[in-house]
Amino acid sequence: MRVILAFIACVMSAFALHLPDGTNQYDSNVWAAGRVENIKGYEGGMGEIFTFIQGNNYFAYGVVAIILAVIGAFILHFLIIGPKHFSHDGKKVYAFDIVERISHGIAALSWVILVPTGIIMMWGSSFGGGAFVNFMQDLHVIATVFFTISVFPMIFYWTIRMLPAVYDIRWMFIVGGYLSKKKRPVPAGKFNAGQKAWYWVAIPGGLVMIATGAAMYFLDFKAVPVADWLGISQIEVLRWSVIIHNILGIVCAVFFLVHIYMAAIAIHGAIWSMVNGYKEEEEVYVLHHYWYQELVSKNKIPVSDYEKVYDKLK
Amino acid sequence: MSEFNQNNRLKFYCDNDRCIDCNGCAVACDEAHELPIGVRRRRVITLNEGVIGKEVSTSIACMHCEDAPCSLVCPVDCFVIRPDGIVLHDKEVCIGCGYCLYACPFGAPQFPREGVFGAKGSMDKCTMCAGGVNIQTNSEHEFEEYGQNRIAEGKVPVCAAMCSTKALLVGESDIIEQIYLDRVSARGYGVKNIKESPTWKIAYYTKDRV
Repeated sequence: MRVILAFIACVMSAFALHLPDGTNQYDSNVWAAGRVENIKGYEGGMGEIFTFIQGNNYFAYGVVAIILAVIGAFILHFLIIGPKHFSHDGKKVYAFDIVERISHGIAALSWVILVPTGIIMMWGSSFGGGAFVNFMQDLHVIATVFFTISVFPMIFYWTIRMLPAVYDIRWMFIVGGYLSKKKRPVPAGKFNAGQKAWYWVAIPGGLVMIATGAAMYFLDFKAVPVADWLGISQIEVLRWSVIIHNILGIVCAVFFLVHIYMAAIAIHGAIWSMVNGYKEEEEVYVLHHYWYQELVSKNKIPVSDYEKVYDKLK
Repeated sequence: MSEFNQNNRLKFYCDNDRCIDCNGCAVACDEAHELPIGVRRRRVITLNEGVIGKEVSTSIACMHCEDAPCSLVCPVDCFVIRPDGIVLHDKEVCIGCGYCLYACPFGAPQFPREGVFGAKGSMDKCTMCAGGVNIQTNSEHEFEEYGQNRIAEGKVPVCAAMCSTKALLVGESDIIEQIYLDRVSARGYGVKNIKESPTWKIAYYTKDRV
């Protein structure tokens, strides 16, 4: 117990040593020589562009318009075509191991926090600013830390399978069969083209979001010479960051909604594969047909009875 | 208070021919408002340092722009532009996101590090010694948050008050303009029309404004 208390005391005093911790302004990238750079970029440059976009609330209205459009599309899809049901009584195929599920779970939870808090910040004035929006901002920062932890296992486990394949084009043409009520095998590996698109938005895009967000959080960082690498002033790095962060954030929010709709509503019960690791055999056969063939050819699963029900894709 | 319009909005103007890079204004501001160590609302910068005939020093703070880009981009709308042209912001509403800094061409907004995680605190910038908004004038709370409210007491901002060469001018724009014009005609050179100088009217040019 005493050891624990001593440890806590050490941690607390480490924080205490760092407070108050102002950046010495003569060493500052933003406010020392960088302040001159700001004025050099007076006519033209990112400051103006950012002021134009943000001053017209394009980010804030943009995110709401796109999200409403996507939700509208879901409602139409749900009413006209409806969710796909696959037998939950048949055999199950083990799809995701514990590391994949935990890292995916952490990422999922952090995005559930990141996306709404981000939108609340965009609409800060409607929420009155101050303590509430500040709290949302803190949540945003904390969730980012968890997301950052979860990214690397997902990169390690999934990147190779997420590389595009030729049959993804065929998947794209039929939009994965989601626009039809008929169930027939679609050309997809372990991950279909939609999941691959989401992966390439969420993981590299997520890393860019982390990097640009970190730039805005640390603001006046000296140790990482980003501005030198890019050959622009520190303030321009920040301006690029905020524009990229906002636009990419809107894209990520949209894909996130699609992902939730697909997992929780459009394919009935699909979410369980990320909870217990098993996918329904019928779902694998129909929606991930090439993966099914791969598993059969490697003798990992027996030949399915569904071969009698559905055609087999070549 | 007299009626304010475009001709007598309160303005800063730094006469570059007189600024001797003494940093007195910056130090006076730090001291008068008891600013934390990481915050400097006013700073003297020198351009073309060491280049004979081209070296010029000037004092920069918030320029209290007419079109204040900071106020345009603020996601929580914490900025208030007073009728006399002073750009103020409400630290209670500010969330320290930094958007004002990204929009400001002068790098005026500052962010003290505070809290357990060393997060950016509420933005801090030059108030033209006019304190804050939505806060009791000349209260102790106002002093803690924003520094002195010298305007409310009828005094000139402390930077300009202590400027030894009177390079830094502050006041109603038509009076500043007249003082500067008198100087230019007396010494025979200088910017004839200070309304054309970049720091006079706007941060970004009209065509680019929102």
